[in-house]
Amino acid sequence: MSRTVSLHEVSKTFGASQHPALTGVSLEVPAGSCTAILGPSGSGKSTILRVIAGLERVSAGKVVVDGTDVGGIAAEKRGIGMVFQRPLLFPHLSVLDNIAFSQRVGGASRVASRRHAQHYLDLVQLGGFGARSVQALSGGQEQRVAIARALAAAPGVLLLDEPFSALDPALRDDMHELLDDIRRAEAPTIILVTHDRDEASAVADNIAVIDGGELLQHDTVDHLYNRPASIRVSRLMGGLNEIEGTVQAGMHVSPLGRVPVPANTPDGPGILVIRHEAIEVSPCTEAAAPPSGVIGHVSRVRRFGPRRMVSVAFRGGLLLHAALPPGDAVRDGCRVSLTLPPQAVSVVAVPIGPVFGEPGSGAPR
Amino acid sequence: MVLPALVPAVFVVAGGVGAAAMQSLGLMPLVGPVRFSADAYTGQAEDLFRALGLSLAIAAVSTVIAAVFGVGTALLIVGGRWCGRILAATSAATVTIPHLIGAATVGLLLADSGVLARVLGVPPELWPSLVGGPWWLAVVAEYAWKESAFIALIVAGTLITRVARFDEAAALLGATRWMRFRFVMLPLALPALAISSTIAFVYTLGSYEVAWLLGRTYPEPLAVMALRLFNSVSLTARPEAAAAAVLTTLVSFLVVGACFWALRKTALWR
Repeated sequence: MSRTVSLHEVSKTFGASQHPALTGVSLEVPAGSCTAILGPSGSGKSTILRVIAGLERVSAGKVVVDGTDVGGIAAEKRGIGMVFQRPLLFPHLSVLDNIAFSQRVGGASRVASRRHAQHYLDLVQLGGFGARSVQALSGGQEQRVAIARALAAAPGVLLLDEPFSALDPALRDDMHELLDDIRRAEAPTIILVTHDRDEASAVADNIAVIDGGELLQHDTVDHLYNRPASIRVSRLMGGLNEIEGTVQAGMHVSPLGRVPVPANTPDGPGILVIRHEAIEVSPCTEAAAPPSGVIGHVSRVRRFGPRRMVSVAFRGGLLLHAALPPGDAVRDGCRVSLTLPPQAVSVVAVPIGPVFGEPGSGAPR
Repeated sequence: MVLPALVPAVFVVAGGVGAAAMQSLGLMPLVGPVRFSADAYTGQAEDLFRALGLSLAIAAVSTVIAAVFGVGTALLIVGGRWCGRILAATSAATVTIPHLIGAATVGLLLADSGVLARVLGVPPELWPSLVGGPWWLAVVAEYAWKESAFIALIVAGTLITRVARFDEAAALLGATRWMRFRFVMLPLALPALAISSTIAFVYTLGSYEVAWLLGRTYPEPLAVMALRLFNSVSLTARPEAAAAAVLTTLVSFLVVGACFWALRKTALWR
């Protein structure tokens, strides 16, 4: 049975620290959904999970599960499962007994708890591994067993704290598929912590972006990429393009030219952001710019696997970055036309004070 | 790499035990001819068995008490609260106190005219015979106190480095505090507990000063017996002293062997 999780103005400060780990975080995770909490290292994302699980007490605010404030309820009584970055399989128990642990401590007999565990072992496609020692498993198998062990406790909420970060990319894809299978079979509410944008997009319905202990935006995957709430969110989502200018009557005016923006964008100073993946780049051309396009000159082409990243220079030293599909013929110095699809264009407020990080901090994905 | 440490250790242990064994069998007499004989064992067999029984009883009881209190203290230390830090510091300080000083302290505390009897206002004739009494309670108390601190530090070290996160994982699987102790903490701490308890047992079995200071003159534990015979004015008692020492060593080897045999059968050791 999946459950709704709500955080209301949750703050957390550890000991006498001057800097709170969480500041006024409010988050609503509907029953049966999967939300990814995305943020850089030290942003407080794991603290959110520990607070929900009951491993840490909140300094202020409250955690509500299915309408009940769980602040005074011990971790073992919350009905919330958690898988950590390290699998933390009990080394003195076999694979099957690890999965049977929750039933065993719940009072079931050894035989009954093992029978129950076998179903979850099958679910993670390790049906024949029950008698093995946990030391005989690979990293991916260990994490599968850890997930099966958490699921065997029939949690209404499953918390995943970067469980796949230590796995290689191929194994990680397998685990994402497994998570999808589990959602179909068991439908628990899942909250996944990750610092990997691709992983968050691959497995979650919604993403909550957190930085410096603050929740910056909680939205659908598409909105986070194409309608970031702030320049910080845009950068954390890997946005590379930021053009300062002014919005006037539905147009963003900057050295780039006049670019149509969403109808509800208020007039005034604003930074135009657009995903590099959304920009369409013409082949080298001498033609005029299309209606929603701009003309510039290619200043640099870099390769990223099969794709290439092209940097296009404009008047006043302005640069736009665009991801090219394989095979497109552009080269340094050539004149190109860039089309900025209106549905991918967004304007965010000019930040007050410094914004940490750089546009596109992290490799383009 | 370990050879420089191994050679002197083997030389001292093998040489010491070998010399004692040879002396106990008449092959290394201080006076008289060399003659193989088991007289040092058979001639005092009754005393040896009585001393062995007493030594085993003192070592077993004090080790069990030390293990129970040691594990409890370790759990409090791992708990990370202020009382845990105080206990850790107290345990560390306790380990550094020599047993002879500890025995004198326990004697001053528990004797019929000791601090405790005076504080409680109990006259000496009504105070139970804790020191020098028939149940060797002061001896057991001293060993249990000192060795519980040693066991606590060893077990706490294991629990802190290996078990803290497992405890959280178990809690999130619905295990109560007792269940976590029973099904996770104790099994994971078992190798450290078994090894430290074995060390405490073997040490208690082989040390003489506490029983010599706080115990009765008869019957006497093996180690006290060995010391008394060794210091005897009669040089012919040396083989008998060596026999008591060899018997202590044999029992110690057996206990250590049994501990490792049992540990090797556990999943954790494998």
